[in-house]
Amino acid sequence: MTITHTPGVGIRARRLTKRFGDKVAVDGIDFTVEPGRVTGFLGPNGAGKSTTMRMILGLDAPTAGSVRVNGHRYGSSPAPLREIGALLEAHAVHPGRSARDHLRWLAASNGIPTTRVGEVLELVGLESVAGQRAGRFSLGMGQRLGIAAALIGDPPIVMFDEPVNGLDPEGVRWVRSLARRLADEGKTVFVSSHLMSEMALMADHLIVIGRGSILADSSIQAFMAEHASAYVRVKAPQSTDVEALLVGRGLNVTRTDGELRVQGLDAAALGELIGGNGLLLHELTLVRSSLEDAFMELTADSVEYHARSEVAA
Amino acid sequence: MSTLTASPTRGSLGRTTKAEWIKLSSIRSTWWTALAMVVVGAGFTTIICGVYANDIAAGSGDSQGEFITQGLIFSQISAVVIGALVVTSEYGTGLIRSTLAATPLRARVLAAKAIVLSGFLFVVGTATAFIGYFGGNAFFRHDGVGISLGDEHILRSMFGAGLYMAGLGLLAAAVGLLVRHTAAAISIVLALVFIIGQVVQLIPGTFGEWVMKLMPGNAGPGIVVPVSFGPDMLSPWTGFAVFVGEIALLGLAGFALFQKRDA
Repeated sequence: MTITHTPGVGIRARRLTKRFGDKVAVDGIDFTVEPGRVTGFLGPNGAGKSTTMRMILGLDAPTAGSVRVNGHRYGSSPAPLREIGALLEAHAVHPGRSARDHLRWLAASNGIPTTRVGEVLELVGLESVAGQRAGRFSLGMGQRLGIAAALIGDPPIVMFDEPVNGLDPEGVRWVRSLARRLADEGKTVFVSSHLMSEMALMADHLIVIGRGSILADSSIQAFMAEHASAYVRVKAPQSTDVEALLVGRGLNVTRTDGELRVQGLDAAALGELIGGNGLLLHELTLVRSSLEDAFMELTADSVEYHARSEVAA
Repeated sequence: MSTLTASPTRGSLGRTTKAEWIKLSSIRSTWWTALAMVVVGAGFTTIICGVYANDIAAGSGDSQGEFITQGLIFSQISAVVIGALVVTSEYGTGLIRSTLAATPLRARVLAAKAIVLSGFLFVVGTATAFIGYFGGNAFFRHDGVGISLGDEHILRSMFGAGLYMAGLGLLAAAVGLLVRHTAAAISIVLALVFIIGQVVQLIPGTFGEWVMKLMPGNAGPGIVVPVSFGPDMLSPWTGFAVFVGEIALLGLAGFALFQKRDA
Protein backbone atom coordinates (compact mmCIF):
# COMPACT_ATOMS: atom_id res chain seq x y z
CA MET A 1 0.00 0.00 0.00
CA THR A 2 1.36 3.38 -0.93
CA ILE A 3 0.95 6.08 1.63
CA THR A 4 0.01 9.34 0.05
CA HIS A 5 0.53 11.98 2.63
CA THR A 6 -1.16 15.29 2.11
CA PRO A 7 0.24 17.86 4.51
CA GLY A 8 -2.31 19.59 6.69
CA VAL A 9 -5.04 17.03 6.17
CA GLY A 10 -6.11 14.51 8.76
CA ILE A 11 -4.90 14.25 12.32
CA ARG A 12 -1.30 14.67 13.35
CA ALA A 13 0.02 14.19 16.89
CA ARG A 14 3.54 15.18 17.91
CA ARG A 15 5.08 14.18 21.24
CA LEU A 16 1.53 14.16 22.59
CA THR A 17 1.59 13.62 26.34
CA LYS A 18 -1.00 13.51 29.09
CA ARG A 19 -0.28 12.97 32.76
CA PHE A 20 -2.89 12.68 35.48
CA GLY A 21 -0.94 13.36 38.64
CA ASP A 22 2.06 11.05 38.45
CA LYS A 23 0.26 8.59 36.18
CA VAL A 24 1.23 8.87 32.54
CA ALA A 25 -1.85 8.19 30.39
CA VAL A 26 -0.31 9.14 27.05
CA ASP A 27 3.44 9.10 26.78
CA GLY A 28 4.79 11.42 24.10
CA ILE A 29 3.23 9.69 21.12
CA ASP A 30 3.65 10.57 17.45
CA PHE A 31 1.17 9.46 14.85
CA THR A 32 -0.61 10.62 11.74
CA VAL A 33 -4.10 9.67 10.66
CA GLU A 34 -4.39 9.94 6.89
CA PRO A 35 -7.47 10.60 4.77
CA GLY A 36 -9.02 8.01 2.48
CA ARG A 37 -8.59 5.04 4.73
CA VAL A 38 -9.87 3.60 7.98
CA THR A 39 -7.26 3.90 10.68
CA GLY A 40 -7.81 1.59 13.62
CA PHE A 41 -6.70 2.76 17.03
CA LEU A 42 -6.22 -0.46 18.91
CA GLY A 43 -5.32 -1.06 22.50
CA PRO A 44 -6.47 -2.67 25.71
CA ASN A 45 -8.76 -0.75 28.03
CA GLY A 46 -6.86 1.98 29.82
CA ALA A 47 -4.19 2.17 27.13
CA GLY A 48 -4.84 5.86 26.50
CA LYS A 49 -7.16 5.71 23.46
CA SER A 50 -9.97 7.83 24.87
CA THR A 51 -7.60 10.31 26.45
CA THR A 52 -5.88 10.76 23.08
CA MET A 53 -9.23 11.29 21.37
CA ARG A 54 -10.29 13.82 24.00
CA MET A 55 -7.06 15.73 23.41
CA ILE A 56 -7.70 15.73 19.67
CA LEU A 57 -11.03 17.45 20.40
CA GLY A 58 -9.48 19.92 22.82
CA LEU A 59 -11.55 18.55 25.70
CA ASP A 60 -8.43 17.58 27.65
CA ALA A 61 -5.38 19.81 27.47
CA PRO A 62 -2.14 17.95 26.63
CA THR A 63 0.51 18.07 29.34
CA ALA A 64 3.08 18.36 26.55
CA GLY A 65 3.22 18.05 22.79
CA SER A 66 0.46 18.93 20.39
CA VAL A 67 -2.16 17.56 18.09
CA ARG A 68 -3.36 19.19 14.89
CA VAL A 69 -6.63 18.64 13.07
CA ASN A 70 -6.44 19.59 9.41
CA GLY A 71 -3.27 21.45 10.20
CA HIS A 72 -4.52 23.56 13.06
CA ARG A 73 -5.42 23.29 16.71
CA TYR A 74 -8.96 22.09 17.31
CA GLY A 75 -11.21 24.96 18.21
CA SER A 76 -9.70 27.61 16.02
CA SER A 77 -12.34 26.80 13.45
CA PRO A 78 -15.62 28.74 13.60
CA ALA A 79 -17.64 25.58 12.90
CA PRO A 80 -15.65 22.64 14.28
CA LEU A 81 -18.43 20.12 13.65
CA ARG A 82 -17.89 20.70 9.93
CA GLU A 83 -14.24 19.70 10.35
CA ILE A 84 -14.35 16.71 12.64
CA GLY A 85 -17.23 14.68 14.02
CA ALA A 86 -16.73 12.45 17.00
CA LEU A 87 -18.57 9.67 18.72
CA LEU A 88 -17.26 9.60 22.25
CA GLU A 89 -17.21 6.58 24.48
CA ALA A 90 -19.68 7.87 27.01
CA HIS A 91 -22.33 8.80 24.48
CA ALA A 92 -22.78 12.33 25.58
CA VAL A 93 -26.54 12.80 25.41
CA HIS A 94 -29.02 14.15 27.96
CA PRO A 95 -31.47 11.32 28.76
CA GLY A 96 -34.42 13.71 28.86
CA ARG A 97 -33.90 15.16 25.40
CA SER A 98 -35.17 13.57 22.21
CA ALA A 99 -32.79 12.40 19.53
CA ARG A 100 -34.07 15.08 17.18
CA ASP A 101 -33.63 17.88 19.72
CA HIS A 102 -30.12 16.66 20.52
CA LEU A 103 -29.20 16.93 16.84
CA ARG A 104 -31.06 20.24 16.52
CA TRP A 105 -28.96 22.02 19.12
CA LEU A 106 -25.78 20.58 17.67
CA ALA A 107 -26.75 21.85 14.23
CA ALA A 108 -27.69 25.27 15.59
CA SER A 109 -24.39 25.64 17.43
CA ASN A 110 -22.42 25.31 14.19
CA GLY A 111 -24.79 27.04 11.80
CA ILE A 112 -25.68 23.76 10.10
CA PRO A 113 -29.07 23.80 8.32
CA THR A 114 -31.82 22.01 10.25
CA THR A 115 -32.60 19.85 7.20
CA ARG A 116 -29.39 18.00 7.97
CA VAL A 117 -30.98 16.65 11.20
CA GLY A 118 -33.48 14.57 9.22
CA GLU A 119 -30.74 13.38 6.86
CA VAL A 120 -28.49 12.00 9.57
CA LEU A 121 -31.43 10.47 11.46
CA GLU A 122 -32.30 8.59 8.29
CA LEU A 123 -28.68 7.68 7.70
CA VAL A 124 -28.39 5.96 11.09
CA GLY A 125 -31.89 4.49 10.96
CA LEU A 126 -33.39 6.38 13.89
CA GLU A 127 -36.15 8.34 12.06
CA SER A 128 -38.94 6.35 13.68
CA VAL A 129 -37.73 7.04 17.22
CA ALA A 130 -36.43 10.57 16.65
CA GLY A 131 -39.04 12.06 18.98
CA GLN A 132 -38.32 9.67 21.82
CA ARG A 133 -36.22 10.66 24.78
CA ALA A 134 -32.68 9.40 24.43
CA GLY A 135 -32.77 8.00 27.97
CA ARG A 136 -35.07 5.24 26.70
CA PHE A 137 -32.64 4.20 23.99
CA SER A 138 -30.79 0.91 24.09
CA LEU A 139 -27.00 1.04 24.08
CA GLY A 140 -27.05 0.32 20.36
CA MET A 141 -29.54 3.11 19.60
CA GLY A 142 -27.42 5.45 21.72
CA GLN A 143 -24.40 4.55 19.59
CA ARG A 144 -26.37 5.26 16.43
CA LEU A 145 -27.40 8.65 17.82
CA GLY A 146 -23.78 9.36 18.68
CA ILE A 147 -22.78 8.50 15.11
CA ALA A 148 -25.56 10.74 13.76
CA ALA A 149 -24.17 13.55 15.92
CA ALA A 150 -20.67 12.91 14.58
CA LEU A 151 -21.93 13.17 10.99
CA ILE A 152 -24.17 16.24 11.46
CA GLY A 153 -21.62 18.61 9.96
CA ASP A 154 -20.63 16.21 7.14
CA PRO A 155 -17.03 16.60 8.31
CA PRO A 156 -13.96 15.40 6.39
CA ILE A 157 -12.69 13.70 9.56
CA VAL A 158 -14.71 11.31 11.69
CA MET A 159 -13.57 9.77 14.92
CA PHE A 160 -15.43 6.89 16.56
CA ASP A 161 -14.46 5.75 20.05
CA GLU A 162 -15.44 2.08 20.46
CA PRO A 163 -18.35 2.36 18.02
CA VAL A 164 -19.40 -1.29 18.04
CA ASN A 165 -19.84 -1.48 21.81
CA GLY A 166 -23.36 -2.59 22.57
CA LEU A 167 -24.34 -3.07 18.95
CA ASP A 168 -26.04 -6.22 17.71
CA PRO A 169 -24.36 -8.13 14.85
CA GLU A 170 -26.37 -6.24 12.24
CA GLY A 171 -25.32 -2.95 13.84
CA VAL A 172 -21.69 -4.02 13.90
CA ARG A 173 -21.82 -4.77 10.19
CA TRP A 174 -23.48 -1.44 9.58
CA VAL A 175 -20.72 0.48 11.41
CA ARG A 176 -18.12 -1.45 9.44
CA SER A 177 -19.65 -0.59 6.10
CA LEU A 178 -20.23 3.01 7.16
CA ALA A 179 -16.58 3.42 8.12
CA ARG A 180 -15.60 1.87 4.79
CA ARG A 181 -17.92 4.13 2.82
CA LEU A 182 -16.69 7.27 4.59
CA ALA A 183 -13.07 6.33 3.89
CA ASP A 184 -13.91 5.60 0.25
CA GLU A 185 -15.39 9.09 0.01
CA GLY A 186 -11.93 10.32 0.93
CA LYS A 187 -12.62 11.13 4.54
CA THR A 188 -10.22 10.55 7.39
CA VAL A 189 -11.70 7.80 9.56
CA PHE A 190 -10.22 7.10 12.98
CA VAL A 191 -11.82 4.25 14.92
CA SER A 192 -10.78 2.97 18.32
CA SER A 193 -11.37 -0.51 19.64
CA HIS A 194 -9.98 -2.97 22.12
CA LEU A 195 -10.92 -5.85 19.81
CA MET A 196 -8.30 -6.96 17.32
CA SER A 197 -10.83 -9.06 15.42
CA GLU A 198 -12.98 -5.99 14.83
CA MET A 199 -10.04 -3.94 13.63
CA ALA A 200 -8.93 -6.73 11.29
CA LEU A 201 -12.31 -6.46 9.57
CA MET A 202 -12.62 -2.69 9.54
CA ALA A 203 -9.25 -1.02 9.33
CA ASP A 204 -6.78 -0.41 6.51
CA HIS A 205 -4.17 0.94 8.83
CA LEU A 206 -3.47 0.12 12.43
CA ILE A 207 -2.06 2.14 15.29
CA VAL A 208 -1.59 -0.06 18.35
CA ILE A 209 -1.30 1.66 21.72
CA GLY A 210 -0.47 0.15 25.09
CA ARG A 211 0.18 1.98 28.35
CA GLY A 212 0.26 5.28 26.55
CA SER A 213 2.90 4.29 23.98
CA ILE A 214 2.59 3.39 20.33
CA LEU A 215 3.47 -0.30 19.90
CA ALA A 216 2.83 -0.59 16.18
CA ASP A 217 1.89 1.78 13.34
CA SER A 218 1.52 0.01 10.02
CA SER A 219 -0.90 -1.10 7.34
CA ILE A 220 -3.08 -3.99 8.36
CA GLN A 221 -1.38 -6.26 5.78
CA ALA A 222 2.05 -5.42 7.10
CA PHE A 223 0.84 -5.97 10.63
CA MET A 224 -0.54 -9.38 9.70
CA ALA A 225 2.59 -10.38 7.82
CA GLU A 226 4.73 -9.39 10.74
CA HIS A 227 2.68 -10.66 13.62
CA ALA A 228 0.35 -13.38 12.42
CA SER A 229 2.23 -16.44 11.24
CA ALA A 230 1.06 -19.74 9.80
CA TYR A 231 3.01 -22.98 9.96
CA VAL A 232 2.38 -26.68 9.52
CA ARG A 233 2.84 -28.90 12.52
CA VAL A 234 4.46 -32.20 11.57
CA LYS A 235 4.66 -35.24 13.83
CA ALA A 236 6.58 -38.16 12.44
CA PRO A 237 8.27 -41.19 14.06
CA GLN A 238 11.50 -40.62 12.08
CA SER A 239 11.47 -36.93 12.81
CA THR A 240 15.22 -36.50 12.33
CA ASP A 241 15.02 -37.88 8.79
CA VAL A 242 12.00 -35.71 8.04
CA GLU A 243 13.77 -32.65 9.36
CA ALA A 244 16.82 -33.38 7.24
CA LEU A 245 14.61 -33.84 4.18
CA LEU A 246 12.73 -30.57 4.70
CA VAL A 247 15.78 -28.54 5.56
CA GLY A 248 17.40 -29.99 2.44
CA ARG A 249 14.49 -28.51 0.43
CA GLY A 250 15.23 -25.09 1.86
CA LEU A 251 12.21 -24.94 4.16
CA ASN A 252 12.17 -23.13 7.47
CA VAL A 253 11.92 -25.82 10.17
CA THR A 254 11.93 -25.47 13.93
CA ARG A 255 11.81 -28.36 16.37
CA THR A 256 9.67 -27.98 19.50
CA ASP A 257 8.75 -30.79 21.93
CA GLY A 258 9.30 -33.56 19.45
CA GLU A 259 7.22 -31.86 16.74
CA LEU A 260 8.37 -29.91 13.73
CA ARG A 261 7.03 -26.53 12.75
CA VAL A 262 7.41 -25.97 9.05
CA GLN A 263 6.92 -22.76 7.14
CA GLY A 264 7.11 -22.28 3.40
CA LEU A 265 4.95 -25.11 2.08
CA ASP A 266 1.30 -25.94 2.57
CA ALA A 267 0.07 -29.07 4.34
CA ALA A 268 -0.90 -31.03 1.21
CA ALA A 269 2.43 -30.45 -0.52
CA LEU A 270 4.30 -31.33 2.66
CA GLY A 271 2.37 -34.59 3.01
CA GLU A 272 3.19 -35.58 -0.55
CA LEU A 273 6.84 -34.69 -0.11
CA ILE A 274 7.26 -36.65 3.11
CA GLY A 275 5.18 -39.65 1.94
CA GLY A 276 6.91 -39.63 -1.43
CA ASN A 277 10.21 -40.16 0.34
CA GLY A 278 8.90 -43.23 2.14
CA LEU A 279 8.69 -41.57 5.55
CA LEU A 280 5.77 -42.09 7.96
CA LEU A 281 3.53 -39.30 9.14
CA HIS A 282 1.52 -39.18 12.37
CA GLU A 283 0.17 -35.71 12.15
CA LEU A 284 0.06 -32.87 9.69
CA THR A 285 -1.80 -29.76 10.84
CA LEU A 286 -1.98 -26.22 9.56
CA VAL A 287 -1.65 -23.87 12.53
CA ARG A 288 -2.46 -20.22 12.15
CA SER A 289 -1.63 -17.87 14.95
CA SER A 290 -4.38 -15.29 14.82
CA LEU A 291 -4.16 -11.53 14.86
CA GLU A 292 -5.84 -11.74 18.23
CA ASP A 293 -2.85 -13.75 19.47
CA ALA A 294 -0.47 -11.28 17.91
CA PHE A 295 -2.27 -8.40 19.60
CA MET A 296 -2.31 -10.18 22.96
CA GLU A 297 1.36 -10.87 22.66
CA LEU A 298 2.15 -7.34 21.63
CA THR A 299 0.20 -5.74 24.45
CA ALA A 300 0.80 -8.37 27.12
CA ASP A 301 3.12 -6.10 29.03
CA SER A 302 0.90 -3.11 28.69
CA VAL A 303 -2.40 -4.43 29.96
CA GLU A 304 -3.26 -2.78 33.22
CA TYR A 305 -5.40 -5.43 34.81
CA HIS A 306 -4.85 -9.11 34.17
CA ALA A 307 -7.25 -11.78 35.23
CA ARG A 308 -5.37 -14.17 37.49
CA SER A 309 -5.61 -17.09 35.08
CA GLU A 310 -4.11 -14.95 32.36
CA VAL A 311 -1.16 -14.06 34.54
CA ALA A 312 -0.57 -17.73 35.28
CA ALA A 313 -0.72 -18.61 31.58
CA MET B 1 -24.15 11.50 1.69
CA SER B 2 -25.22 15.01 0.98
CA THR B 3 -22.86 17.88 1.04
CA LEU B 4 -23.78 20.82 3.14
CA THR B 5 -24.59 23.68 0.89
CA ALA B 6 -24.46 26.53 3.38
CA SER B 7 -21.03 28.02 3.47
CA PRO B 8 -19.22 27.99 6.78
CA THR B 9 -19.59 31.33 8.45
CA ARG B 10 -17.93 32.79 11.47
CA GLY B 11 -18.77 31.31 14.82
CA SER B 12 -20.94 33.58 16.85
CA LEU B 13 -22.47 34.03 20.26
CA GLY B 14 -25.86 34.09 18.52
CA ARG B 15 -25.51 30.50 17.31
CA THR B 16 -24.32 29.26 20.66
CA THR B 17 -27.17 31.08 22.38
CA LYS B 18 -29.66 29.48 20.02
CA ALA B 19 -28.18 26.06 20.74
CA GLU B 20 -28.38 26.67 24.48
CA TRP B 21 -31.99 27.76 24.17
CA ILE B 22 -32.85 24.57 22.28
CA LYS B 23 -31.15 22.61 25.06
CA LEU B 24 -32.98 24.37 27.89
CA SER B 25 -36.38 24.32 26.21
CA SER B 26 -36.22 20.71 25.00
CA ILE B 27 -36.03 19.27 28.49
CA ARG B 28 -39.39 18.65 30.13
CA SER B 29 -38.12 19.27 33.65
CA THR B 30 -37.38 22.89 32.68
CA TRP B 31 -41.05 23.49 32.00
CA TRP B 32 -42.29 21.59 35.05
CA THR B 33 -39.94 23.52 37.30
CA ALA B 34 -40.94 26.83 35.70
CA LEU B 35 -44.61 25.91 36.12
CA ALA B 36 -43.92 25.14 39.78
CA MET B 37 -42.32 28.57 40.13
CA VAL B 38 -45.44 30.28 38.77
CA VAL B 39 -48.05 28.16 40.54
CA VAL B 40 -46.37 28.05 43.93
CA GLY B 41 -45.17 31.66 43.87
CA ALA B 42 -48.36 33.25 42.60
CA GLY B 43 -50.51 30.78 44.54
CA PHE B 44 -48.93 31.49 47.91
CA THR B 45 -48.99 35.23 47.28
CA THR B 46 -52.70 35.03 46.56
CA ILE B 47 -53.39 32.92 49.65
CA ILE B 48 -51.31 35.13 51.95
CA CYS B 49 -53.02 38.27 50.66
CA GLY B 50 -56.38 36.54 51.12
CA VAL B 51 -55.53 35.76 54.72
CA TYR B 52 -54.35 39.28 55.61
CA ALA B 53 -56.77 41.38 53.50
CA ASN B 54 -59.33 41.42 56.28
CA ASP B 55 -56.82 42.56 58.92
CA ILE B 56 -55.54 45.34 56.70
CA ALA B 57 -59.08 46.48 56.04
CA ALA B 58 -59.69 46.40 59.80
CA GLY B 59 -56.70 48.71 60.31
CA SER B 60 -54.01 46.28 61.50
CA GLY B 61 -51.37 48.74 60.41
CA ASP B 62 -49.78 46.29 57.97
CA SER B 63 -49.20 47.42 54.41
CA GLN B 64 -50.41 45.52 51.32
CA GLY B 65 -46.91 45.82 49.93
CA GLU B 66 -45.56 43.52 52.62
CA PHE B 67 -47.62 40.66 51.22
CA ILE B 68 -48.04 41.24 47.51
CA THR B 69 -44.85 39.35 46.56
CA GLN B 70 -44.59 37.06 49.61
CA GLY B 71 -45.17 33.80 47.76
CA LEU B 72 -42.03 34.32 45.70
CA ILE B 73 -40.03 33.10 48.68
CA PHE B 74 -40.95 29.61 47.53
CA SER B 75 -40.27 30.37 43.87
CA GLN B 76 -36.60 30.75 44.76
CA ILE B 77 -36.32 26.96 44.88
CA SER B 78 -37.31 26.62 41.21
CA ALA B 79 -34.85 29.29 40.13
CA VAL B 80 -32.03 27.52 41.97
CA VAL B 81 -32.96 24.14 40.47
CA ILE B 82 -33.12 25.43 36.89
CA GLY B 83 -29.92 27.43 37.32
CA ALA B 84 -27.92 24.55 38.75
CA LEU B 85 -29.19 22.07 36.16
CA VAL B 86 -28.14 24.26 33.23
CA VAL B 87 -24.57 23.45 34.23
CA THR B 88 -24.60 20.27 36.31
CA SER B 89 -26.87 18.19 34.05
CA GLU B 90 -24.15 18.47 31.41
CA TYR B 91 -21.60 16.99 33.76
CA GLY B 92 -23.95 14.31 35.03
CA THR B 93 -24.60 13.02 31.52
CA GLY B 94 -21.28 13.68 29.81
CA LEU B 95 -23.07 16.12 27.53
CA ILE B 96 -20.46 18.76 28.34
CA ARG B 97 -18.10 16.95 25.94
CA SER B 98 -20.56 17.35 23.07
CA THR B 99 -21.08 20.97 24.04
CA LEU B 100 -17.39 21.81 24.06
CA ALA B 101 -16.66 19.80 20.92
CA ALA B 102 -19.32 21.87 19.16
CA THR B 103 -18.22 25.17 20.71
CA PRO B 104 -14.61 24.96 21.87
CA LEU B 105 -14.54 28.58 23.02
CA ARG B 106 -15.52 28.02 26.64
CA ALA B 107 -16.17 31.67 27.44
CA ARG B 108 -18.77 31.72 24.68
CA VAL B 109 -20.48 28.63 26.05
CA LEU B 110 -20.81 30.25 29.47
CA ALA B 111 -21.96 33.56 28.04
CA ALA B 112 -24.66 31.80 26.02
CA LYS B 113 -25.79 29.80 29.04
CA ALA B 114 -25.96 32.96 31.15
CA ILE B 115 -28.00 34.81 28.52
CA VAL B 116 -30.50 31.99 28.07
CA LEU B 117 -30.81 31.20 31.77
CA SER B 118 -31.19 34.77 32.99
CA GLY B 119 -33.57 35.69 30.17
CA PHE B 120 -35.78 32.70 30.86
CA LEU B 121 -35.87 33.22 34.63
CA PHE B 122 -36.48 36.95 34.23
CA VAL B 123 -39.57 36.26 32.13
CA VAL B 124 -40.92 33.48 34.36
CA GLY B 125 -40.09 35.37 37.58
CA THR B 126 -41.76 38.56 36.36
CA ALA B 127 -44.81 36.62 35.18
CA THR B 128 -45.04 34.93 38.58
CA ALA B 129 -44.96 38.30 40.33
CA PHE B 130 -47.66 39.76 38.09
CA ILE B 131 -49.97 36.77 38.43
CA GLY B 132 -49.48 36.86 42.20
CA TYR B 133 -50.22 40.57 42.19
CA PHE B 134 -53.49 40.13 40.33
CA GLY B 135 -54.49 37.17 42.51
CA GLY B 136 -53.61 38.85 45.79
CA ASN B 137 -55.00 42.23 44.82
CA ALA B 138 -58.35 40.59 44.03
CA PHE B 139 -58.66 39.86 47.77
CA PHE B 140 -57.48 43.35 48.71
CA ARG B 141 -60.06 44.86 46.39
CA HIS B 142 -62.76 42.63 47.73
CA ASP B 143 -62.05 44.05 51.16
CA GLY B 144 -61.82 47.58 49.83
CA VAL B 145 -58.06 47.97 50.24
CA GLY B 146 -56.98 47.30 46.63
CA ILE B 147 -53.70 48.65 45.33
CA SER B 148 -52.64 49.68 41.83
CA LEU B 149 -49.67 48.91 39.60
CA GLY B 150 -49.06 52.64 39.56
CA ASP B 151 -48.50 52.73 43.31
CA GLU B 152 -45.02 53.42 44.56
CA HIS B 153 -42.53 50.53 44.18
CA ILE B 154 -45.10 48.07 42.83
CA LEU B 155 -43.80 47.88 39.25
CA ARG B 156 -40.22 47.90 40.51
CA SER B 157 -40.97 44.86 42.63
CA MET B 158 -42.73 43.05 39.76
CA PHE B 159 -39.75 43.36 37.43
CA GLY B 160 -37.44 43.13 40.41
CA ALA B 161 -38.81 39.63 41.00
CA GLY B 162 -37.68 38.68 37.51
CA LEU B 163 -34.26 40.22 38.06
CA TYR B 164 -33.81 38.49 41.39
CA MET B 165 -34.85 35.08 40.01
CA ALA B 166 -32.44 35.53 37.10
CA GLY B 167 -29.67 36.42 39.56
CA LEU B 168 -30.44 33.47 41.79
CA GLY B 169 -30.34 31.12 38.79
CA LEU B 170 -26.96 32.54 37.78
CA LEU B 171 -25.70 32.11 41.33
CA ALA B 172 -26.73 28.43 41.29
CA ALA B 173 -25.15 27.96 37.86
CA ALA B 174 -21.88 29.47 39.14
CA VAL B 175 -21.89 27.11 42.11
CA GLY B 176 -22.68 24.31 39.66
CA LEU B 177 -19.50 25.17 37.77
CA LEU B 178 -17.51 24.91 40.97
CA VAL B 179 -18.92 21.61 42.24
CA ARG B 180 -20.13 20.00 38.95
CA HIS B 181 -22.74 17.99 40.81
CA THR B 182 -26.50 18.62 40.74
CA ALA B 183 -27.48 17.71 44.29
CA ALA B 184 -24.45 19.44 45.77
CA ALA B 185 -25.03 22.67 43.84
CA ILE B 186 -28.74 22.85 44.69
CA SER B 187 -28.15 22.04 48.38
CA ILE B 188 -25.40 24.61 48.75
CA VAL B 189 -27.39 27.45 47.24
CA LEU B 190 -30.63 26.60 49.04
CA ALA B 191 -28.74 26.35 52.34
CA LEU B 192 -27.06 29.68 51.63
CA VAL B 193 -30.37 31.41 50.93
CA PHE B 194 -32.71 29.75 53.41
CA ILE B 195 -30.53 28.65 56.33
CA ILE B 196 -27.15 30.35 56.48
CA GLY B 197 -28.72 33.73 55.72
CA GLN B 198 -30.84 33.32 58.87
CA VAL B 199 -28.25 31.67 61.11
CA VAL B 200 -25.72 34.50 60.71
CA GLN B 201 -28.13 36.75 62.59
CA LEU B 202 -26.79 35.01 65.69
CA ILE B 203 -23.37 36.58 65.20
CA PRO B 204 -23.35 39.40 67.72
CA GLY B 205 -22.66 43.08 67.17
CA THR B 206 -22.35 45.26 64.10
CA PHE B 207 -20.22 42.64 62.37
CA GLY B 208 -23.05 40.11 62.56
CA GLU B 209 -25.49 42.71 61.31
CA TRP B 210 -23.38 43.38 58.25
CA VAL B 211 -22.77 39.71 57.49
CA MET B 212 -26.51 39.19 57.62
CA LYS B 213 -27.23 42.15 55.35
CA LEU B 214 -24.67 41.06 52.79
CA MET B 215 -25.75 37.43 52.48
CA PRO B 216 -27.01 36.91 48.90
CA GLY B 217 -30.45 35.72 50.00
CA ASN B 218 -30.87 38.85 52.12
CA ALA B 219 -29.26 41.50 49.93
CA GLY B 220 -30.83 40.36 46.65
CA PRO B 221 -34.57 40.20 47.32
CA GLY B 222 -34.89 43.81 48.49
CA ILE B 223 -35.96 44.77 44.99
CA VAL B 224 -38.73 42.16 45.05
CA VAL B 225 -40.67 43.65 47.95
CA PRO B 226 -42.45 47.02 47.68
CA VAL B 227 -42.09 47.48 51.43
CA SER B 228 -38.73 46.62 52.95
CA PHE B 229 -38.31 43.66 55.29
CA GLY B 230 -36.97 46.02 57.92
CA PRO B 231 -34.58 48.85 58.72
CA ASP B 232 -31.67 46.40 59.09
CA MET B 233 -31.70 45.61 55.38
CA LEU B 234 -29.82 47.32 52.58
CA SER B 235 -31.95 49.55 50.37
CA PRO B 236 -33.38 47.70 47.34
CA TRP B 237 -30.91 48.72 44.63
CA THR B 238 -27.88 48.80 46.92
CA GLY B 239 -28.75 45.30 48.02
CA PHE B 240 -29.20 44.15 44.45
CA ALA B 241 -25.85 45.65 43.47
CA VAL B 242 -24.21 43.68 46.29
CA PHE B 243 -26.03 40.55 45.08
CA VAL B 244 -24.82 41.10 41.50
CA GLY B 245 -21.29 41.57 42.81
CA GLU B 246 -21.49 38.26 44.64
CA ILE B 247 -22.77 36.50 41.52
CA ALA B 248 -19.93 38.04 39.52
CA LEU B 249 -17.31 36.82 42.02
CA LEU B 250 -18.63 33.26 42.08
CA GLY B 251 -19.13 33.37 38.33
CA LEU B 252 -15.52 34.42 37.74
CA ALA B 253 -14.26 31.68 40.04
CA GLY B 254 -16.43 29.16 38.18
CA PHE B 255 -15.25 30.46 34.82
CA ALA B 256 -11.59 30.23 35.84
CA LEU B 257 -12.03 26.58 36.82
CA PHE B 258 -14.09 25.83 33.72
CA GLN B 259 -11.31 27.21 31.51
CA LYS B 260 -8.66 25.19 33.25
CA ARG B 261 -10.29 21.83 33.83
CA ASP B 262 -10.43 18.94 31.41
CA ALA B 263 -13.97 18.21 30.30
